[in-house]
Amino acid sequence: MTAQRVHTRRAGDPLVVVCAGGGGVGKTTTSAALALGLARQGRSTLIVTIDPARRLASAMGVALSDAVTTVPFAGTNGRLAALMPDPRRSMHAFVDQLFEGEPAARERLRDNRVYQGLADAAAGVHELVALNLVAAAASTGSFEVVVIDTAPSRQAIDFVTLPGRLAALLGGKTVAWLSGLATRSGEKDSTQARSGGLLAWGKGHLEHLIARAAGPYLVRDTAGLFIELALVRERFVHLTERASALLLGDRAAYVLVAAPTAAARDDVIFLAKRLEKLGRAPRALLMNRADTRPAPYVTALRSSANLSPALSDALDVLDEERKARGDSAAAMTRDLSRQLPSCPLIRLPFVEAYAAADVVHALSLELEAHHRALLPQ
Amino acid sequence: MVLVLGKGGVGKTTVAAGLAALDAETVGMSTLVEMGDGIAGRRALAGARKGVEHLVLQPDECLQRGATPIFGSAVLAKLALGNFAMKPLLRAAPAIRELAMLDAVRRAATERPGVRLVVDMPATGHSVAWLRIPKQGRALLGEGPLFDMCEQLSRELLAPGRVSLVVVTLPEPLVLEETLELCAQLTAETGLPVDRILVNRVPSAEDPAALVDARALAEKPGPLAEHAKTLASVLAARQAAAAAAADALAPLSREGRALWRLPLCPVDPSARDVARWLRAEGAP
Repeated sequence: MTAQRVHTRRAGDPLVVVCAGGGGVGKTTTSAALALGLARQGRSTLIVTIDPARRLASAMGVALSDAVTTVPFAGTNGRLAALMPDPRRSMHAFVDQLFEGEPAARERLRDNRVYQGLADAAAGVHELVALNLVAAAASTGSFEVVVIDTAPSRQAIDFVTLPGRLAALLGGKTVAWLSGLATRSGEKDSTQARSGGLLAWGKGHLEHLIARAAGPYLVRDTAGLFIELALVRERFVHLTERASALLLGDRAAYVLVAAPTAAARDDVIFLAKRLEKLGRAPRALLMNRADTRPAPYVTALRSSANLSPALSDALDVLDEERKARGDSAAAMTRDLSRQLPSCPLIRLPFVEAYAAADVVHALSLELEAHHRALLPQ
Repeated sequence: MVLVLGKGGVGKTTVAAGLAALDAETVGMSTLVEMGDGIAGRRALAGARKGVEHLVLQPDECLQRGATPIFGSAVLAKLALGNFAMKPLLRAAPAIRELAMLDAVRRAATERPGVRLVVDMPATGHSVAWLRIPKQGRALLGEGPLFDMCEQLSRELLAPGRVSLVVVTLPEPLVLEETLELCAQLTAETGLPVDRILVNRVPSAEDPAALVDARALAEKPGPLAEHAKTLASVLAARQAAAAAAADALAPLSREGRALWRLPLCPVDPSARDVARWLRAEGAP
C-alpha cells in the first residue's frame, strides 16, 4: 500500500486529463475533440479510450489494438495518437506480461475456472490493463498530454485506486486464509480448531460453513488464483505503480462530462463526490448539447420575410429543439452550480452534424478557448 | 417477467419505466425492479406512479438476504460476509453479488404471483455476464447451496416462458451490430430468445422540400446565402441520420425481429410519453 501512495514525478511525464461521466453524454467524442484541439495547437497528444466506441475508432481511422496508432487528422501533423485497446483481448495480454518467465504458473492460471470467469466478466480488469498500456506509452516520453476517456459508468474512476487495492489484497491475510481454507475444506469437521477454545471453534465452524456454501471447487480455484497471483505480486505492484503515479500525481486533472439530462446530472454529482473521496476536485465540468442562444443562421433566416413554408417549418423545429435543450441545460446549470459550487461549468453547443469525424472537429474548435481551464494547473 | 437490456446511455431505465407504466395502465398494476440507488427509476416514473410498484434492490441487502438460508441464520450470514478475508474477496469477486441480485429478482417474482415485473438490467457487457452466472456457477461449483441457488435460477427465472427479453438499442449501424451480436450471444449462452428489439431515438424524417429550398436559397447571392448554406448542411445531416437509421434497421426486419420504434426527443421523455409511444407501436 505504502508504495502506491508515493507518486514520484518523473521528468518527461505527460499531463493527464481524465474524462468521466455517465453513458450517452458524448464523453468519448468530447475527449477525442479535446485531444484533437491540443494536437492542432502543437502538443503531441495521446487519446486513450478505455471503453472504445467502434464508430469513433473507425471515424478516426484507428483500429482497436494494444498498440499506439497515429491518427491521420488534418492539421495535427502526426501529433495525435490513439490507444484503443480491445477489452476482450487485454486480460490475457496482461497475464502474459505478469507471468513472463513463469510458464507453468501461467498455464495453471489459465486452467483455473475462477480466472476464466474473471477474464470476461470482471469490471476493472480491462481498465487495469489499459492503464498499463498507457503507462508504457507515457514512459516513452513522446507525449505532452494524455487524454483518458473512461468507461461510461459511475464506477469508472474507481480504477485509479484499483492497483493499490489489488496489491493489498494479494499481500494480505486473505490469501493465507483462503489457502488454509482450501486445504481444510476437504475435512468433514474442523476438530483441530475445536481444541482451541470457543472462539477458535466458532471460527472453525464459520470457515466450515463458508467452505460448504461455496462448494469444493470454488474455494480451491479461488485460492489457487490468489496463490498464483501472490507469486507475481512484486511484479504486479511494479507494473501498476507507474499507472497510479500518472493518475494520482499532480500532473493529472479530472474533467466531468455531462449533457442536459437528469441522469447525466446525477452521474456527475456522484462522480464529483467520488473524486472528493480520492482527494481530487474536478477541474471542470463540460456540458454538451447546452447551447445558450439560437444559432446565428436561424435568427438571420427567421427574420427574412419570404421563406417557403417547408423552410420556416424546419426552422421552427430546430428552434423548438434548441429551446427544449436550452431550458433543460439552464435547469441543470442551476442545480450543478448549487451542488458543485467550486467546479467551473463550461457549456458546449449541440453539434448538428452526422459524421462522427465532423462532430469531433466541430467540438474541438469549441473547446479551443477552454484548454487552459481543462489541463492540469 | 421482462428483462430490459442494452448498452449504457441508450435509455434503458426510461424504457423500463415506460413498459411498467403501460402495464399498470392496462392491467392495473406492475412492478419496476431497479438495481442500485433507485434514483433513476424514481425520476423516470415521475407522474406515472399509479399502480406501479418501484422495487429497488441493493447489492448488500441482497447478499445478506441470499446468504441467510445458506448459513442458517441472519447472524451467521452477517458474520460470514463480514469475515476479514471474505470482505475483500467479495469486493474482488463480483459474480457473488450479481448472483445474489438475480436471486432477489427471482424471490420478488415468486412473492408477486400474477404481477408482471419489468427489470431494468445493468448495461450490456455486465448483463450478459449476469445472465451467464447461473450456468457458469453450476459448472464451477459442482455442489453445495450456491450450486442449488444457480440451479433454481436456471429453472425458475432464466427459463423460456418465464422471462421475456427486451433489448434497447439506437438506430446507429454499429450500435445495432452490437445489438445483434448481443442477441446471438444471449440465445447461445442462456438459451433465452430475445422477444423484442426496441429502437430508441429514431430521428423523424423531415419534409425533404426544406432541404431543396435551403439549397436553392444558398445559391441566390445575397445576405442570406451563407446562412442558408449552414441550414442546408444541418438539414442534410439530419436527413443522413434519418436515412442511416432506416438503413440500419433493415437487417433487423430481414431477420424477422419484432421491433418497436420510439422517436428522438431533444430532452428526457417521461414514462408516460414512452407508454403512449409504445401503445402507438401496438404494445402490449
